[in-house]
Amino acid sequence: MLSLAGQLIIEGLGIGLVYVLLAAGLVLILNIPRVFFIAYGQFYMLGAYILWGGTVLFKLPFFISLILSILATGILGAISYRLIFYYIQNVRDNFLPIIVAAMGLMMIMQQGALLVFGTSSHGMQSEFPGLIEFGDIIVSVEKLVLIILALLVTGILYVLLQKTKIGRAMRAVSFRADISSLQGINPTLVYMVTMGVGCALSGFAGGIMAPVYAVSPDMGGIILTVLLVIMLGGMGSMLGAVLGGLILGLTLSFGHYFIGADLAQIALFLVIGIILFFKPGGLLGNPGEDLSS
Amino acid sequence: MLKVNKLTKHFGGLVAVNEVDLHIDSSEIVGLIGPNGAGKSTLFNLINGFLKPTSGEVFFEGMDITGFKAHDVSHLGIDQSFQASTLFQRLSVLDNVFIGYHMRYKTKYWKRLLRTPSALKEERAFRKDALEILTFMGLQKLRDEQAENLSHGHQKILGVCMALATKPKLLLLDEPVAGMSPTETETMIELIRKIQEKGLTIVVVEHDMKVIMSLCDRIVVLNYGRKLMEGSPNEVLKSDEVIEAYLGKAEI
Amino acid sequence: MTSPYKRIIGLTVLTFILAMVPLIVKSPYYMHLLIMVGMNAMLAMTFILMLRAGLISLGIAAFWGIGAYVSALLALRLDLSFWMAMPLSAIITGAVALCIGCVLVKNPGFGFIIETVVLGEIAVLAFAHLPLFGGYKGIVSIPPVDPIHIPFLFSIEFVSKTASYYLILFLFLLVAIGYSAFYSAWTGRAWLAIGLNPRLAESKGVNIYRYRLLAFVVGSAGAGLAGSFYAHYYGAIAPTTFNVFKTIYIHIFAILGGVGFPVLGPIIGAFIMILVPEVLRVAKEIEPIITGLLLILLVLFLPQGLLSLLSRRKKNARPVG
Ligand SMILES: Nc1ncnc2c1ncn2[C@@H]1O[C@H](COP(=O)(O)OP(=O)(O)O)[C@@H](O)[C@H]1O
Ligand SMILES: [Mg+2]
Repeated sequence: MLSLAGQLIIEGLGIGLVYVLLAAGLVLILNIPRVFFIAYGQFYMLGAYILWGGTVLFKLPFFISLILSILATGILGAISYRLIFYYIQNVRDNFLPIIVAAMGLMMIMQQGALLVFGTSSHGMQSEFPGLIEFGDIIVSVEKLVLIILALLVTGILYVLLQKTKIGRAMRAVSFRADISSLQGINPTLVYMVTMGVGCALSGFAGGIMAPVYAVSPDMGGIILTVLLVIMLGGMGSMLGAVLGGLILGLTLSFGHYFIGADLAQIALFLVIGIILFFKPGGLLGNPGEDLSS
Repeated sequence: MLKVNKLTKHFGGLVAVNEVDLHIDSSEIVGLIGPNGAGKSTLFNLINGFLKPTSGEVFFEGMDITGFKAHDVSHLGIDQSFQASTLFQRLSVLDNVFIGYHMRYKTKYWKRLLRTPSALKEERAFRKDALEILTFMGLQKLRDEQAENLSHGHQKILGVCMALATKPKLLLLDEPVAGMSPTETETMIELIRKIQEKGLTIVVVEHDMKVIMSLCDRIVVLNYGRKLMEGSPNEVLKSDEVIEAYLGKAEI
Repeated sequence: MTSPYKRIIGLTVLTFILAMVPLIVKSPYYMHLLIMVGMNAMLAMTFILMLRAGLISLGIAAFWGIGAYVSALLALRLDLSFWMAMPLSAIITGAVALCIGCVLVKNPGFGFIIETVVLGEIAVLAFAHLPLFGGYKGIVSIPPVDPIHIPFLFSIEFVSKTASYYLILFLFLLVAIGYSAFYSAWTGRAWLAIGLNPRLAESKGVNIYRYRLLAFVVGSAGAGLAGSFYAHYYGAIAPTTFNVFKTIYIHIFAILGGVGFPVLGPIIGAFIMILVPEVLRVAKEIEPIITGLLLILLVLFLPQGLLSLLSRRKKNARPVG
């Protein structure tokens, strides 16, 4: 019994941590440049394709491919800010234009992937085969690597935000852009870095998930679940993203085992519905606080 | 008319308004002064329902309105003009004023939807009234301009027109002459006087001491969220504490 | 605000022009495309209505779907005719929107958008998983629009594309007139004010919660009506039709024409997006890429939509209202 629980917790932790990363990246983008970046899921897809292409097509080592995923998605994200959102961000009533531009980007990336890679999904061999036993609990090495990598990146993100100069600038800008520009911070740079970091997180998540699930053009649909996590955790909160991601992962893994995938999905919505009924702004959100205004 | 008891507002660690007591009598003009960041605008927002106080109470005409929603407070008869000229930028001047009539509709909703004669009649009456306000404030010529095309001074006046449209009993003016030229300032002082003569009670936040001195019966001084002192204009101007609060700030 | 009289004249002229179309277009295929233009323009109209009140809904397709499913079920299970099922499905869709909206419109902005995305996803999942809705295969053999018999005078059968065209034109105008009534009544000004500056509107006594809820309900009911037409026109519906991507296209239709033009904008936008790729025979594979590029360029260079090009010549043209 205990070993089953342990198994399911590890399972849930693995998927949950990936959602934590994904949600954290999107929370950054939502709060700092305030872009409703619906193309976020496509960066996840791109990250996965780059990893698959790197390891399977070009026979690069796993970690090199993963770094390529991170770099490519990060740079693309930063560039997309400078080329598109930079120009609409300071327009009045920019809310709709920003969403629409992000939709455009999403369509281009989505269809681009379809054209280049085709509709079929590509599985790939596990880079880390084998199982490890901890007492009764049996874990695949692959899952363990995934958990370690996700924890590592979460740690790096924490250090980046809390301890570095650019991290402090990011938080200052998210508080109030007009004040921070007085303090010699260049908001454009901060926004570009944030978009880069956010998209790189998405790309990284895609990269480490590529060996777990098959890679396919419709992976971008993950944005829906990521939004769910953010809704659950609270819009403006990083800690909320962490909490939301873990709750989602655990609910799914336990639900999967006990009631089946479809019912687990519905159970998830029920859990979220109940939480939101009592805390409309999400677990750690503030309902009165509206990021858009 | 308005009574505020130990009103306090925290923003995270910052105490923007700290245990402020205030009472305003009917038909008074009270000046509210204090260095930037003293909490004057925040105090206004606590009264008109934009912000919920952390603690303390607000009474208006004997009724406890603490924590009321902004539109409810507006129904009860408090309205304000904002520090930054806050307008519906893309609406015409007349439509901006028109919004203020919102809550005074008497005809049934479906009649307004179908534009029955009684609804149209009411709308015409409001239109006439809105034009009267614009005439009173000297903006009638600009009524079809888009608000964003007005000069800064006119935008500030429009802000006051919009406040008047809700027929408030208590009018809160947040820095009404900020950024105005001396002649525009003179005009605004005249307008505020004319408004008071109509029987409104006014609280005005202003840095321009000339405005405060020429309008107010009584002055309240805020500093770091606390009420520093209160008294007639002459008393306040002579007070060492007040001079120190301003000068201390200026030296930084 | 445009004066109501101008609106009425504009609508009359528009009706006249649109009513003439079947005299020129004979091909059933093109008639079918025009019918789709009409239905999508209706959906885009609901988007613009909600946008006025500052609500950007990514769940329009879900409400479209609710209308379609409800109408199909009413016709199949309760044997109601289209003419009963259609208004009922709009009302039921509106009622659903009322229940959900009570919670959703409380925090507009990002919160609202996220919630509508999730809502749309839940709706699709519910359609796909609940046995009542027929699972992933959806519902088939939905009865077509029932003929109208007026004894001794005439009867109209809705078999030809032309008849369906006139039906969608009728429904489109119904919604357009209904929405215009809201726009030119007090509500329209309140919505505009809320959309432009919610806090200021609130301080002027506008109950923003109630007006936003009204916009959400009225908008969703319109989408439900379009759904009812869709179900009976196609005869079959499936859950994935109603996903978020459909809503994105609805946004595109509205934005391409210009969100400042609540009736004409959707028609122009849907017309261009649906017909131009057909006429130019753009390959299906690259069409979304072109559309995506177009969207970005539109936002960067012509944010008020195509129609703003025309109205810009007029002095004092107002992009919104
Ligand atoms: N929404 C807010 N969030 C956080 N701090 C705020 C907010 N509004 C005002 N403050 C802070 O409260 C203090 C008082 O501000 P304010 O009332 O605007 O001062 P005044 O109008 O007297 O110049 C300032 O330090 C300001 O930075
Ligand atoms: Mg102030």
